[in-house]
Amino acid sequence: MKWTRAIARLLKGFHFRKIQVLISFSSITITILAVVLVSFLLFNRFTKVAEENAYLNLGQIIEQVNANLEMYVSGMQDIFQVAQDKMSEASDITDEPKLKEQLETLLGTRQDLVSIALFTTEGELVRGVPAYPMRRNTRLTEQSWFESALRNPEELQFSPPHIQNLFKSEYRWVVSMSRLITYRDNSRDQEGVLVMDINFRTIDELSQRVSLGKKGYVYIIDSVGNIVYHPQQQLIYAGLKYENIEPVLNYAYGSYVDETEGEQRLITIQTVKPAGWKIVGVAYAEEFLTTRKELGGFLYGFLLAAIAVILVINLYVSARISQPIRRLERSVKMVEKGDFGTSVHVGGAYEVEQLSKRFNLMLRRIRELMDQIIREQEAKRKSELDVLQSQINPHFLYNTLNSVTRMAELGRTEEVVTTITSLSRFFRISLSKGDHIITVRDELEHIRHYLIIQTIRFKNKFTYEIHAEEGTLDCLTLKLILQPLVENAIHHGIEKSAEAGFIGVYARFAEDHLELIVKDNGIGMTEETLGKLLSGGIRSEKGSGVGVTNVQERVSLYYGKPYGLYFESEPEEGTSVTIKLPIVRAENPENTDKPGKGGENG
Amino acid sequence: MKLGLNTAKGVLLGLLLLPLSASCAPDGNGPMDERPMRVDMIVKMDRGDYWNTIRMGAEVAAKEFNVKLNFIAPDNENDYKEQIRLMEESIKRKPDAIVLAASDYEALGQVTDRTSYADIPVVSMDSEVASTKVKTYVGTNNYEAGQKAAQRLVELTGKESEIAIVNFVKGARNADQREEGFLDYVARFPGISVVDIQYCGSDEELAYRLTRRILEKHPGLDGLVSLSAESSIGAGRAVVELGLGGTLKLIAFDNPPEMLELLQEETVHAMVVQNPFNNGYMAVSAAVKAARGERLEDRIPTDTKLIDLDNMLWPENQKLLFPFVK
Repeated sequence: MKWTRAIARLLKGFHFRKIQVLISFSSITITILAVVLVSFLLFNRFTKVAEENAYLNLGQIIEQVNANLEMYVSGMQDIFQVAQDKMSEASDITDEPKLKEQLETLLGTRQDLVSIALFTTEGELVRGVPAYPMRRNTRLTEQSWFESALRNPEELQFSPPHIQNLFKSEYRWVVSMSRLITYRDNSRDQEGVLVMDINFRTIDELSQRVSLGKKGYVYIIDSVGNIVYHPQQQLIYAGLKYENIEPVLNYAYGSYVDETEGEQRLITIQTVKPAGWKIVGVAYAEEFLTTRKELGGFLYGFLLAAIAVILVINLYVSARISQPIRRLERSVKMVEKGDFGTSVHVGGAYEVEQLSKRFNLMLRRIRELMDQIIREQEAKRKSELDVLQSQINPHFLYNTLNSVTRMAELGRTEEVVTTITSLSRFFRISLSKGDHIITVRDELEHIRHYLIIQTIRFKNKFTYEIHAEEGTLDCLTLKLILQPLVENAIHHGIEKSAEAGFIGVYARFAEDHLELIVKDNGIGMTEETLGKLLSGGIRSEKGSGVGVTNVQERVSLYYGKPYGLYFESEPEEGTSVTIKLPIVRAENPENTDKPGKGGENG
Repeated sequence: MKLGLNTAKGVLLGLLLLPLSASCAPDGNGPMDERPMRVDMIVKMDRGDYWNTIRMGAEVAAKEFNVKLNFIAPDNENDYKEQIRLMEESIKRKPDAIVLAASDYEALGQVTDRTSYADIPVVSMDSEVASTKVKTYVGTNNYEAGQKAAQRLVELTGKESEIAIVNFVKGARNADQREEGFLDYVARFPGISVVDIQYCGSDEELAYRLTRRILEKHPGLDGLVSLSAESSIGAGRAVVELGLGGTLKLIAFDNPPEMLELLQEETVHAMVVQNPFNNGYMAVSAAVKAARGERLEDRIPTDTKLIDLDNMLWPENQKLLFPFVK
């Protein structure tokens, strides 16, 4: 069960389009094919050449035997000729003492000569050496050498091996050479058969000298297929061994492959011309054609090893290539799951390295952006809350209502009415149906009402001016961005100043943007305070709670980088705050409630 | 990765070494390099054409099957005690197989049984032995050979005749079987009487003397059969010396050259020829098979032929009668 699960897991992990699988498969297939093909071609080529050489070699060996045997046979022919000449020349064959001596000398020269004898055509012995008495019942006229000599009177005849049974000596296996000759007996010309018997000594020697491997050998047959000589002649005679002679008879020269014994044997044939014999060389393919087996064995081993090496190298290389990619994939997966803290592995191939570097950069950027978004979102939420708070600033309301009460007690009805009216307008615009964005007109209206209330509250301690350039009123702005600045100007600029205060609020176009400016002639700020102010270090306690930094944040959050607050301030001279905004026009501008162009005293 | 690199290096090293190992592999596993098998061949006698031809056949087989052949025999064919001793010695040597031509059917039985304790397979050749441990018998059907001889002798002498037998070793299985076959055939003819049976113990000289005595005792003898090579040689000499060649019908056994000459001279009228070369060859090849543990037929028969003057020079008979000596 365990292993089936393991296999299942392995198969699940196995994917045909995996880089490792692709690389491994393709390159292994190609290299193995190439190696196999090359090996196969080499094997064929080499074995072919080796086999051709083997055949050539075999042919040469047999050629050599053939040459030796031809020499031997023609030597024997010469001796036969000598014997024939002596017999024919003798003036009277029976009465020539020198003839016997000459023939005996001839016989003595060669150990492979058994006997020389002349018979009449009736089979009577005329002369012979050695001078053994004849046996009875030789039946020589029926023997093949005698018959063929009579049948072919001209040619020298070679008999197949037979037992020499003519003389009272050993029975020996011989080959007989015979010919019909003429001789003189009692001064009369006679015909007779001259026979010369040869034993197998020299033939055996010549054939044994050949080396055709451990098992190979040479045998000789005559023209009709009788075995003349065979190294295992006795076995063949005893019927214990069989030589497939039939196909050999079809050849005079040449070679073929015989497989009748179950083994491949290379048969090479040459003809010994004088005797009409055929020399047959038998070589065993397994001995003679060893190249095929050896080379085959070697190539087989080589192939296996090569394939093993290719496999290992391949797996290694493909793993080298695909591992980093897979690691990269795993890292990306982690990122996908939301873990942006993951650092992607950098390493492996150049491309992968580059890829993971870029990916890392991208990841860092995403991380930064995400952090930024989080921060911005938080700030936005906070500032929105602040705005919301400012819309119902209880402190401001309390102070205003307090002063209204006081005015009412004093009976300054007109002022009470103005204050209440402005307060209601102020709040109406503050709420403005929950919109963030209002027209500059509304914003200026809003600040005007605020200023009205404040001038009443501060008993005309300062004057103010609101002025809008042509066309600016219909532009859109973030709401409640002027009020904190004006509040600041009152509380920090004018309230602390002994002189009569002035606050100017202006809207104008500058270059490609809209500018809302709040100016005062209050105590101004030092560079230091200015810096603190911008970084949010100072926060008014009495004010609406919506600080300058809040305005700055809101503007830059909402409109982006170049927009925001710009301060100009000189101690004892006053402060000017410019709010840079993009020019965005309202779609359906209202033409009501034009703000006053000039100054207005509360 | 480090491990991967090391294994890769190892494989590369292996690849470099591979051609060496591969080229070494094909050597040294040919059948030629096997230890030669040892076969002891214990026969009845180490003299005579019959045994020499057996030995020739055995040696050809030994060469062919890579066998170290140990050819041993007592001096005398009827010396079964010596043969038992030779068997005992051979068992001590523990050869891979033993080929035995038992001089005595019964006497050699016990020692042959003992070979099985030493786990040595025994092949019986030429004449059988009374043991069940024998893997196979290679040799002539002796009973049939005896009958062939009888048939020809009866043809030659006619159905009213006196005949005598010169046998070799009484108790030797082949001698007994030949005699039995002969007598069984002759028994069909009431006119034929077997006047004498003598045993020469495979001694030519004794056979000669015994035959002379038979011929002198029975001057009217029509036919004589000698049932082994040695008894034939002795009998032949006696017949020639008494000048009975041609008149006395003589059937000989086996083919020593002397007998072939007498056949050509018409002193011997026919001879039953075994195939000793094949016996020797096939006994050794059977011994090799037995040593390898292969199963063998119970009997591996070799042919006998009846040779007379007419067929002795037939090419196939020449090949049988005259061993090919180069």
